Amino acid sequence: MKVEIVDWQAVASWHWDLKDDSITDELCGICRVAFDGTCPNCKYPGNECPLILGAGCQHNFHLHCILQWLEQDTSKGLCPMCRQVFEFRKDFNTVTKDINSLLMLIDGHKSMRDREVDEEFDSFDDDLRMND
Amino acid sequence: MAALPKRIIKETERLISDPVPGITAYPDEANLRAFTVTMNGPDSSPYEKGIFDLELYLPDDYPMCPPKVRFLTKIYHPNIDKLGRICLDVLKDNWSPALQIRTILLSIQALLASPNPDDPLANDVADDWKKDEPKAIEVAKEWTAKYAKAKE
Repeated sequence: MKVEIVDWQAVASWHWDLKDDSITDELCGICRVAFDGTCPNCKYPGNECPLILGAGCQHNFHLHCILQWLEQDTSKGLCPMCRQVFEFRKDFNTVTKDINSLLMLIDGHKSMRDREVDEEFDSFDDDLRMND
Repeated sequence: MAALPKRIIKETERLISDPVPGITAYPDEANLRAFTVTMNGPDSSPYEKGIFDLELYLPDDYPMCPPKVRFLTKIYHPNIDKLGRICLDVLKDNWSPALQIRTILLSIQALLASPNPDDPLANDVADDWKKDEPKAIEVAKEWTAKYAKAKE
């Protein structure tokens, strides 16, 4: 029998290669899409929008999701799930433009917090001086 | 109009298939970001047996920003003003994208059960509340009976 292939379609499935599969089974806490799916702003999964693994806490997000959250002043640099200061595992991601933006945002929130603490100390100092 | 994010679709489906007890929320047909909400007053509160109408709107940057929620039914409560605006931390500075429509509606229901006159939005009501709490509770009950009736 002679078979002629007229048309064919390739189908592939996609999966993050992490040591711990329990992470990839989770949903992103912000957009609630599985990590093997994309964030709402991406069409294809991949290194453009990798997983960001929490370092201070154990909460993980799509890069674009956590980026968008930390861009808000109201986020105060905190993890959306547990409200601890958000830090991520830097050893885990190769540095891209968006990773750099994430680092800058986290830094910006940190100096904001430091400034607030300084101001509190200053006003405390003023109060002490007034009492003298 | 931009496509509705998957998260909003999922939240809407769950609100309808697995509603929060004592709360209904349905999206408007013309705008799926606008919800018509009804809330039962919590038991053993001055709002008991009342059914309150609210409107909830998901802004374009939801879930980075909180939903906008407002009471449509008149209510006598120190943290809810004449226009139905609600003073609740998670609707403002303490919003987090880990919260969602159902948790926000539960928080509002909890606010009905525990009014907080020390962080007032309706100053006159809060003053009444602090001066004579039993009387304020009576007024809240009267308003509930008068305005928050079930529709025939």
